[in-house]
Amino acid sequence: MVQLDAKKWVNNYGDMLYRYALPRVNDGEVAKDLVQDTFLAAWRNYDNFKGEISEKNWLFTILKNKIIDHFRKSSTRLTGNLPGIADSDPYFDEAEHWTSVSAPLDWKTDTDSIIDRKEFYGVLSKCKGMLKEIQNTVFTLKYIDGLESDDICKELNITTSNYWVLIHRAKLQLRACLEKNWFLK
Amino acid sequence: MISCKEATDFISRKEEGKLSFRQRWQLWQHLAVCSFCKLFYKQNKIFSNSASHLHEHTNATLSQEQKESLIKALENS
Repeated sequence: MVQLDAKKWVNNYGDMLYRYALPRVNDGEVAKDLVQDTFLAAWRNYDNFKGEISEKNWLFTILKNKIIDHFRKSSTRLTGNLPGIADSDPYFDEAEHWTSVSAPLDWKTDTDSIIDRKEFYGVLSKCKGMLKEIQNTVFTLKYIDGLESDDICKELNITTSNYWVLIHRAKLQLRACLEKNWFLK
Repeated sequence: MISCKEATDFISRKEEGKLSFRQRWQLWQHLAVCSFCKLFYKQNKIFSNSASHLHEHTNATLSQEQKESLIKALENS
């Protein structure tokens, strides 16, 4: 058995893993628990660590699996909350046109000036955290992890029509939240 | 003519090439005349693309307390 140093591990990798998990789950407690589970799993299975990849990459691989497990579990828990067609819609009127309060405004900004702004990401992350958990999950898998919709449906065991409704709602809500909290400030 | 609700949905499907030729045509026809959906189209790109950079822009850290409890959890396992 290799001599393991818990303090060194946590100090070297703790924040790095936490920063990976946090924007995905948008919940500090959950992110911390995922990091803890990752360390524990790695600690117990250290004998299986072959050194073919770096210790850091090995920990990230474990964390990624923990995150997807977390998403899977929460999607099972939230299947009852999947949006129905009859749900009220704050964005569009009966003719499915934008309602006057929710129609997009011109942000009068070009992309390049935003993507360097640290504060923008703070607002984006806050808005993302306000999504329903299942919406946040599909948005994360799609736009942070770059998965295709078919794979997301398989991972979360949801139908494609559910997926498109979830991603549509997530984007409408994110857009409105960003407009209110960033562009109109 | 498709509605704004459909058009905004089509925009996400288009990103993955999931629109038929007819649907693509319907979307372009809608965007040509609807300034709101045209804005949505642009803004969608901004926040969807920047999502993948979120982690580079966070300086969140575990608190010293959390770190100590992690170390304890490891040492006791």
